[in-house]
Amino acid sequence: MKAGREVAVAGVGYSTVSRNGSLGVEQLAVTACHNALADAGLAGRDVDGLFAYSFGFDSPDCHYVQQALAIPDLAAYADIGAMGPSGLGGALAGVMAVSSSGCETALVFRAITQAAGGTGSFRGGGGAPMGAMGASLEMTVPFGYAPIIPAIAMMMQRRIDELGGAIEDYGHIAINARRWAAMNERAVMREPISMDDYLTSRILAEPLRLLDCDYPVSGACAAVLTTAERARDLRRPPVLVDAFAYASGLRADWIQGEDFMFGATRRCADRLWSRASVTARDVDVAELYDGFTHITISWLEALGFCGIGEAGAFIDEGRRIGPGGELPLNTHGGQLAAGRLHGLAHLVEAVSQLRGEGGERQVPGARVAVVTNGHGPQCGALVLRAE
Amino acid sequence: MNSKSIPKPRLPPNEISRFFWEAAREHRLAVLRCDACGTYVHWPQVGCWACGSERLAPTELSGRGTVYSFTVVHHVFNPAFAADVPYNLAIVELEEQPGLRMLANVQCPNEAIRAGMPVEVTFEEREGYTLPQFRPVVEGARE
Repeated sequence: MKAGREVAVAGVGYSTVSRNGSLGVEQLAVTACHNALADAGLAGRDVDGLFAYSFGFDSPDCHYVQQALAIPDLAAYADIGAMGPSGLGGALAGVMAVSSSGCETALVFRAITQAAGGTGSFRGGGGAPMGAMGASLEMTVPFGYAPIIPAIAMMMQRRIDELGGAIEDYGHIAINARRWAAMNERAVMREPISMDDYLTSRILAEPLRLLDCDYPVSGACAAVLTTAERARDLRRPPVLVDAFAYASGLRADWIQGEDFMFGATRRCADRLWSRASVTARDVDVAELYDGFTHITISWLEALGFCGIGEAGAFIDEGRRIGPGGELPLNTHGGQLAAGRLHGLAHLVEAVSQLRGEGGERQVPGARVAVVTNGHGPQCGALVLRAE
Repeated sequence: MNSKSIPKPRLPPNEISRFFWEAAREHRLAVLRCDACGTYVHWPQVGCWACGSERLAPTELSGRGTVYSFTVVHHVFNPAFAADVPYNLAIVELEEQPGLRMLANVQCPNEAIRAGMPVEVTFEEREGYTLPQFRPVVEGARE
């Protein structure tokens, strides 16, 4: 990217991630932040930027975490709300702050506690919702709509009707997640599944099945962003931010949006590649958001790994995206199998791969990663590369 | 669509959206239209999504459109709909403008819904309010 300082990821960290955790969300957030700082060889006193994505009621805010980490002062910070580009939103904001000299070292995190069995992570925080969310809910809730599963189901149906997509295309994304998760000790769903398991899993809203949905967990992850120059003096090899992009699209809404089937993924991907020093052909590992399988399919096509409507053929019954494949996809198991940390874990996994620390699931020689987040009007993406 | 024990949820209308519910009570389908550029805008909001003008006024629609996409909901997302599953949920694209969409429960068997199906507005009376819904257009039945 042309303007600003070069930014690097200098450290990443997790809290425990569990299906029914007993730790509170404040502890999870602070532990993940401590671990990311320790990975970078830094402490709270070295941080002057803090960025958190939350639904406004489900995570500690920046001031809480600032105090817990003894960060003296924040030169830049933001508590990013629900309609931001999901958990990657903190990282995107951190990149902008460091790049623009708004701060020197930014810590970004997503912490979440969710019991198993619920559907959807947005449960409302009391009071009438405002803005885009409120306007949409008023006109949809009386029909038995609830964000966001029925909207995703209608996108899938439209894909099948308009592009000739097959339901099995989605199944291969779900199966792939478990294949990679089997090699990730932190993943919560590590048992393999078959296409038959996928096709017979409970239908929530036709044609969307339970195994199209990510898995709710209690956990947190965090990353440290600083200038590439500073990162070179720190403990870990820097992972460079090659490009970033947001997109919301015209008529920014999950149902009214100009591109119902793809949301803003195509605009976001085009913007990302227009800014990057590399192309889709250079990508060694892809960490594409998988809150639902449809989202991953959208990003595969939006990023140009294959043509529109061609994801099914491209996936090649899972061979192309699985271990040993040409485009290793969601190598930690994604949210479908490793649990829903709202996309920030995709960044953490990309960093781990580019540092060659993937262990059993390491993609040999990985130098370039693409990380994408969200769908509908809430899209964000990054290209990362090893130095 | 009856679930007698729990009332169906509804958010309180506000000063921006009240016209929609008042029109529905009179069995008219209305959305906002921009006086400056003529674009229809929905959901109700304060500025035109095409030109940014705040000169938006409620306008009655023909009530005709086509099913853009649909789903049949099996999961009980809200206990008020527990007696209704499986029920359909459809996005109706209104004939006045491409991309002008509404949600509805199309008044036909779930198996009969198809993308592209022509539909027309109908009105469901609920306790305290009227809800615009859509039903299949029966060929030859329209005046």
